[in-house]
Amino acid sequence: MTAAASTTATKPARRGWAFLAPTILPGFGTAFGFTLAYLCLIVLIPLGHMALRAADVGWDRFWAITLAPRVLHAFYVSFGCALAAALINAVFGLVVAWVLVRYRFPGRRIIDAMVDLPFALPTSVAGIALTAIYAPNGWIGALAKAAGFKIAFTPLGIVIALVFVGMPFIVRTVEPVLQDLDAEVEEAAASLGATRWQTFTKVLLPTILPALITGVALAFARGVGEYGSVIFIAGNIPAVSEIVPLLIVARLEQYDYAGATVIATAMMGVSFLMLLGINFLQRWTRSRHAR
Amino acid sequence: MAIEIRNVEKTFGAFTALGGVSLDVRSGELLALLGPSGSGKTTLLRIIAGLDHADAGEVSFDGQDTRDRAARDRKVGFVFQHYALFRHMTVFDNVAFGLRVKKKAERPAEMDIRRRVDQLLTMVQLSHLASRYPSQLSGGQRQRVALARALAIEPKVLLLDEPFGALDAKVRKDLRKWLRHLHDDMHITSIFVTHDQEEALELADRVVVMNHGQIIQVGTPAEVYDHPADSFVFDFLGGVNRLNGVIEAGVARLDGKAVRVDGAVGADGPAVIYVRPHQVELGVAPADGVPDGKWSARVSSLHAAGPVARLELDLAGRALEAQLSRDRLSDLALEVGSWCTVDFRHARVFPAKS
Amino acid sequence: MRLALIGLAILFLAAFLALPLVAVFSQALAKGVGAFLKGLADPDALSAIRLTLTIAAIAVPLNLVFGVAASWAIAKFNFRGKSLLLALIDLPFSVSPVISGLVYVLLFGLHGSFGPWLRDHGVQIIFAVPGVVMATVFVTFPFVARELIPLMQEQGVEDEEAAIVLGASGWQTFRLVTLPNIRWGLLYGVLLCNARAMGEFGAVSVVSGHIRGKTNTMPLHVEILYNEYNFVAAFAVASLLALLALVTLAAKAALEWRFADQIAAAKR
Repeated sequence: MTAAASTTATKPARRGWAFLAPTILPGFGTAFGFTLAYLCLIVLIPLGHMALRAADVGWDRFWAITLAPRVLHAFYVSFGCALAAALINAVFGLVVAWVLVRYRFPGRRIIDAMVDLPFALPTSVAGIALTAIYAPNGWIGALAKAAGFKIAFTPLGIVIALVFVGMPFIVRTVEPVLQDLDAEVEEAAASLGATRWQTFTKVLLPTILPALITGVALAFARGVGEYGSVIFIAGNIPAVSEIVPLLIVARLEQYDYAGATVIATAMMGVSFLMLLGINFLQRWTRSRHAR
Repeated sequence: MAIEIRNVEKTFGAFTALGGVSLDVRSGELLALLGPSGSGKTTLLRIIAGLDHADAGEVSFDGQDTRDRAARDRKVGFVFQHYALFRHMTVFDNVAFGLRVKKKAERPAEMDIRRRVDQLLTMVQLSHLASRYPSQLSGGQRQRVALARALAIEPKVLLLDEPFGALDAKVRKDLRKWLRHLHDDMHITSIFVTHDQEEALELADRVVVMNHGQIIQVGTPAEVYDHPADSFVFDFLGGVNRLNGVIEAGVARLDGKAVRVDGAVGADGPAVIYVRPHQVELGVAPADGVPDGKWSARVSSLHAAGPVARLELDLAGRALEAQLSRDRLSDLALEVGSWCTVDFRHARVFPAKS
Repeated sequence: MRLALIGLAILFLAAFLALPLVAVFSQALAKGVGAFLKGLADPDALSAIRLTLTIAAIAVPLNLVFGVAASWAIAKFNFRGKSLLLALIDLPFSVSPVISGLVYVLLFGLHGSFGPWLRDHGVQIIFAVPGVVMATVFVTFPFVARELIPLMQEQGVEDEEAAIVLGASGWQTFRLVTLPNIRWGLLYGVLLCNARAMGEFGAVSVVSGHIRGKTNTMPLHVEILYNEYNFVAAFAVASLLALLALVTLAAKAALEWRFADQIAAAKR
């Protein structure tokens, strides 16, 4: 293991820091180089450039723009509605995943396929369809109107749009964990005298929870940035139902590049923190279920 | 083709897979690399194939250094542990692969490829399955396809990584015999990796025992079995009694009585006496106590199914396993609870590890 | 319990998934088939359809090549910083579509960093087709790579090593061994990538400028028609997109059913 031993090496000895583990497969340079170049061109440089432009604005103006009441309220609406929708999805998404994994009933396969509809349906289509349903003259909107409240053009409408958009994230994150879950564990709990509710809260939930949190975080992150499906149903009333992405678009349309950039960068910063959180959660999930 | 391996080293991070290994592989022999997992045997095989690069040292084929010969140019047949059959190709196409990817100038005509593949499939007795896909074959059949595929490129050396590892016991035995016959017909230099000592001893011309990235012993199966180089080899080749004794003034002693041992005795101090069950000699206990130079033990259990009887004995509180023929057992008229004398035909002693 | 849960799940999905779909088609046909077809036959609608197809035809192959290259590098090799690279590839998923468009406006727009230079050289990117393509590529960037990386990681390198020991060149190994091994996963990724490329709204909306007949994609055209209170035409175009989504879902389900084992890793 001395340096002298490496003089007879068939290949230069790579001790210590090596970027690439030795391999006989070809094409790493090309593939890696292309990947990195493409990543930089399409994603990193444009995003980095935006951050630089935001920095150009200056610290004081950055905060002045971000902390303006209308902007703050938009952040409040975006994050609040996204969180509400993610939590609603946590409950119903779990039920859907449970039903899909545990029960066999006619039409299960179709329902399973349909769960991904929000991934596949263009957001503007979802937006106008949901508006058509929940507007005061729509199928459900009319019912709500009769009951004395409004859904579309209020934050409630935003929540509904975000429930639609985020639902598959929960179902698809929880599903594999439920599939891996051994029915025997529940039977064991039951045989030890646990009630159904105890089995659920003490045995099932702790196992599912990491995946559920990951799913909620993903749905939340998606909901915060969502634009297309929200703008039709939101009504976009400033300080009531105006979301951050819409605010960015509005600033752009007024050629207020600095404003748009600052708000976007602030949102990216928060999103980035959430991404870190998701990664952390995933690692935590994996370490707790390492087999 | 002969292969010379000189001072090959390989580390993965902090783990030393091979710590300066040298070995001569003779042309035409069937060599086993035997060792527990992590002993470096597979790494050595992959370095010979060119699948991994040594950090230091040389591997040469017939005196030619392989340094600059890429894996694809080495003409090495490699049979992977899990076969690595191309699952989207039929058995036929799998075997033909190595011929079809040759450069235009070297590539045989399709007619010749066909003939060659048919010939190989006949040899591995799979002609009738030529158009099947790997997923439609049994484990043993896949293994033979992998072998035929490796042989198609007319390799100078055949390397097999745990060739029978993924098969069940019965298939494993059949395939082992079959591979031995195949090797006797073709005389291609072959190296296989295994952790199964029975497989290595039964199949190979020579066995290389490895541990912790080092070669411990090289020899014919009889040599390594009868004259293990050290306690590890003795242990690893299986079925051994380890009895705690001492070495005093150059004599190994068990309970005060001297043990006749083969080979060197070693320095004075605590020692472990190694003896194989079939080297344990049992005798009828005389009525007037124990004869000099022998030990006395009581039979604690007895398994007498098959031609060989296995006994577990209690030798002054130590468990001792013995093997003897059924005839000998009936001569001794032993049963559970009866006493007998014990002696060792061949034993080895190694200093106890502190 | 069982029935109650199934009922609850179906009710939830019906309200949130089935109802919007029904709404799209019923609104599109609210004034009869004639009005529906008229909405689609409009020259601006046709041009939006053409543009959407064109953009997908550019963005999907680009991200396909990227996805294959990225997954080859990440799944078949061990190198430092791999998890960082993986996280960066996922980055566009966590960026608001609006920001995905904005970053290009800031680069190439009239007031963007390269705007004046581009204008002087007569090149227009923002409020033109190139910008729309860029924003779409950004948004659909991770799709193929996301599907392929876990699949190729699961498949390991033994097949490739076997091919190389048998004398195959790098390209032969990739074409004859790797590509067939990942073909269904690849198709799966392309399917998802394509659905998003054709349906992207937010990012495209920021860079397109909504110029009818020029930079209007189908999802944007839906918005314009809707804001003009031309509901039948809006929902007519929307119904085409909904149909695309349904076809995507059906193809996806078929792939999952038929080749579950060969895209299994990708499904996690």
